[in-house]
Amino acid sequence: MANRKKQTEGVFLLPEGDLKRPRSPQITLLCTLFVALLTMGLINLYSASLGAGYFASQVKNLAITLSAFVLFGWVIPIRQVNAYAYWFLGVVAALLLIVLFTGRVAGGAQRWISLGPISFQPSEMAKLAVVLTVARFFSSNRQDAPYTIRDLLPLAATVGVVFVLIFAQPDFGTAGVCGLIAICMLSFIRINLRSIGLVFLSVPIVAALLWNIFLMPYQKLRVLNALNPELDPQNSGYHALQSLIAVGSGGVFGKGFTQGTQAHLRFLPERHTDFIFSVFAEEHGFWGSVVIFTVFAFITYIALDIARHSKDTFASLVAVGVGSLIFLEFAINVSMVMGIFPVVGIPLPFFSFGSSAMLTVCISLGLLISVNRSNSGVSKRN
Amino acid sequence: MTRIHKQESLLVESRFMWASIVLLVAISGLLLRLWYIQIYKGDYYREVSERNRVRKIEIPAPRGIIFDRNGEVVLGNRPFYDLVYIPQYVADKDTTFKIISRLLHVPVTRFEARLEMAQSQPKFLPVALKRDLSQHEVSIIEANKIFLPGIEVRVAPRRDYGPEVPPHLLGYLKEIDPEALDTLNVTSQENPYLLGDLVGKQGIELRWEKYLRGQRGYRLIQVDAFGRQSQGLEETGFSLPNVPSKPGADLELTIDYELQKATKAAFAGKNGAVVVLNPQTGEVLAAVSEPGFDPKMMQQGVSPEDWRELIENPFKPLLDKTSGGEFPPGSVYKSVVAMAGLEEHVIDENRTVYCPGFYTLGNRRFYCHDRKGHGTVNMAKAMLKSCDVYFYQVGIELGVDRIARYAKAFGLGEKLGVALNMEKPGLIPTSAWKMLTYRLPWAGGDTPNISIGQGYDLITPMQMANLYATIANGGKLWKPYYVNKVTNHVGETIYEHHPELIRDVKEVSPKTFAMVRAALQAVVMEPGGTGKNAAVEGVTVAGKSGSVQVVSLKKNTNKPGSDVSSYWKEHAMFTAFSPTENAEIAIAVVSQNDIVGGGGKSAAPVAGKIIARYWQLKRERAASAQAQNKDEINGKQEKAN
Repeated sequence: MANRKKQTEGVFLLPEGDLKRPRSPQITLLCTLFVALLTMGLINLYSASLGAGYFASQVKNLAITLSAFVLFGWVIPIRQVNAYAYWFLGVVAALLLIVLFTGRVAGGAQRWISLGPISFQPSEMAKLAVVLTVARFFSSNRQDAPYTIRDLLPLAATVGVVFVLIFAQPDFGTAGVCGLIAICMLSFIRINLRSIGLVFLSVPIVAALLWNIFLMPYQKLRVLNALNPELDPQNSGYHALQSLIAVGSGGVFGKGFTQGTQAHLRFLPERHTDFIFSVFAEEHGFWGSVVIFTVFAFITYIALDIARHSKDTFASLVAVGVGSLIFLEFAINVSMVMGIFPVVGIPLPFFSFGSSAMLTVCISLGLLISVNRSNSGVSKRN
Repeated sequence: MTRIHKQESLLVESRFMWASIVLLVAISGLLLRLWYIQIYKGDYYREVSERNRVRKIEIPAPRGIIFDRNGEVVLGNRPFYDLVYIPQYVADKDTTFKIISRLLHVPVTRFEARLEMAQSQPKFLPVALKRDLSQHEVSIIEANKIFLPGIEVRVAPRRDYGPEVPPHLLGYLKEIDPEALDTLNVTSQENPYLLGDLVGKQGIELRWEKYLRGQRGYRLIQVDAFGRQSQGLEETGFSLPNVPSKPGADLELTIDYELQKATKAAFAGKNGAVVVLNPQTGEVLAAVSEPGFDPKMMQQGVSPEDWRELIENPFKPLLDKTSGGEFPPGSVYKSVVAMAGLEEHVIDENRTVYCPGFYTLGNRRFYCHDRKGHGTVNMAKAMLKSCDVYFYQVGIELGVDRIARYAKAFGLGEKLGVALNMEKPGLIPTSAWKMLTYRLPWAGGDTPNISIGQGYDLITPMQMANLYATIANGGKLWKPYYVNKVTNHVGETIYEHHPELIRDVKEVSPKTFAMVRAALQAVVMEPGGTGKNAAVEGVTVAGKSGSVQVVSLKKNTNKPGSDVSSYWKEHAMFTAFSPTENAEIAIAVVSQNDIVGGGGKSAAPVAGKIIARYWQLKRERAASAQAQNKDEINGKQEKAN
């Protein structure tokens, strides 16, 4: 322990005493940002779905998502989450299997299961499951030496199952995000250099295999079209191009709330889900978008900060995982909308319509708060 | 320190710094991209988005209506439904074409051909695939519209051709030639032509294109990505511009449509042309050229087969023969020779020539049309019987150049300037002309033929009618014209034509004119005259028949399906005016390769019928005007009471 402390000396940016503060202002900050994002998201969804029922539907779901936020933030202690992490993974994997065989098909992929009136997308929950699984794995397999590939094999197998199940739907984007979340979390762990090298060498081979065997033609087209949307308007590059036009035409200050002509005249496809950011960018322009970018960057930074201050491996990794989940989704979605990433169907947290995605990010933020509370010792009193 | 650290976190502290750096770099990259799109290229995308949502819909202008001199509509418009293809919005061209082809029973190749023609134009401009859809076809397309993105039915006003419309006079409309588009638009930049526009290709439609075409309007509509019109921005408080089209200017023709119809009916079954003029002004009262063509077919896009048929027909249906057909005038020309002879004192009214049925010049014999001979004839008798020998003699004595001088005084041998695209000058030979053209001196043997309007002589029916109009009015050579007045869409007169005198024919004295008129009246009204078939009860009619032997067109006789014998028939001519003094109507009838017989037999009755109809119409109109007058007076009286 002393050894460890010595090692990290000088890396810490904050003085030692700061760690012992009884109460973190981060909870207030997180809650403020959460409410701000939720509000902006809803207002923007209102504009994006003028005349459609998405806004009303999202507001109705607000009760569920908010209670989930509170539940994971203040009611369930992070230790409890740790205990049920693998159970959660098991349930999600089972749901993904059910989806594969009986799921509702929409947009060319099988992603939903219907539980009575509620349509549910297990692949959204799978992201959380990956976060919890990776965190749990390292909290229960502690070792001081760097992890080798053999040590990580069980983890790779469990996450791999989830990855393959989502990939098979096919949901290339979500599967990719799951994989990336795991990688982000792993990057905070000391891993044998040779193992990393091995993994990096195998990545292009695996990617090539996936490209040739698993990718549907439309997905291949999407990847290619992201690189040059102007090549083939009206067809596969159409979405990307139209969203680029929407964002670009927003200019410095935007066209004004509900004045986004691109979106309202239905040039924008999927404007209430994957391309919701283009509605925002069109209506609120560069400065509006800068606000959003800043908020997401800030949340991510807070997540990292919370993780850094946590002495509990599970809690710390959960915070890292949640931060990467939110930031990855944000970055991929926004890149996609701005035409620098293939159209892969990743929602923008808090903005995109969809109860599953909303539930996922609410739980994620809840977990972050829970971690922070455990850091500051508040949870210890429970 | 109250907290107890149960365990140390497994996470590597230094990685947090790296993560922060990665986060910073990522967010900076995204912001850079955002800046690039929204600010650096913001104006560009803004412009694109403007185009995206607001579409310009062209509103075609209806062409001006063409009225006759009495206000009757000769050619108007009606709405046509066209199937248009907007390349920008068609995802799968082949499937789309296949569907339409199956729905409308039109081969796909037709669509492909039309699309190919429009290749150079921007993708957002519509291409007409099929014109003039029936109601049924419109409903079929509309019902299947969801399968046909980029396919629309557009309505446009276009020419509504009735069966009586004179195609040569009015001309026809045809889709603008893609290659001609740019050159045309140089001169009409404010009101440019677009591909698929119909333009006048002949006759009045061509000559008055600038006035008739009107100005296209446009309106902007909001559309969604599927090109469907979406709700306007009314609720947000600004409305999109809507510039209505300006209809073309209306023409008032000099044509009397009733007389035109009568002329067409009288000439039915013949090939050639009829021109009816007002000798006092030069107004064209009727103009018929046969065979005709169907202008409707041209407007809708003529098929290659139909076009070939039109082009290959030996009677040239596309040619406006009234001013564009050159014919040897035959005996009709004798009036000119007679006037020249009288003015040059080669002959007088008493001078006689003996006609044995032929005329000998050197060792050549020129026969009279009546080989039995006419005996001793003076000018009047020679005109009456159309004695060739008399005119051979007069012609020889005058010589070719003196005849030509008189012919040219009447505007023969050059264009009258009716300003229709097909107008031809005809040909009045002179010795100089022959030298220039054939490098041969004028031979004495050439003169007899040209003296009776054959040989090199060529004149158009318009010139023929105008010649006799000038004889009728005593020497005023008017320029024939078709359009009295042009009125723009708000009712202002923007052009008015006043009779235009080409020249006063001073070479011929009034006495000579009177003498010739008397002789011409005898041709129609005296027993034994060759024009007796043109006589009309109750009015004086003067006229002259003509028959021309035809030996041309031999090369066409082997064409299958054509009436071989008709090529060998003679041209039958008749010119007339009525009444003899202060004539109101002058006519030239040229029946090409007539199968009935010569001018007196075949063409004279046509002229007679037209003249009869003219007077009948005049009486009827006077009567109805009188009745109307009486009604008005009665009405006023009633009001007064």
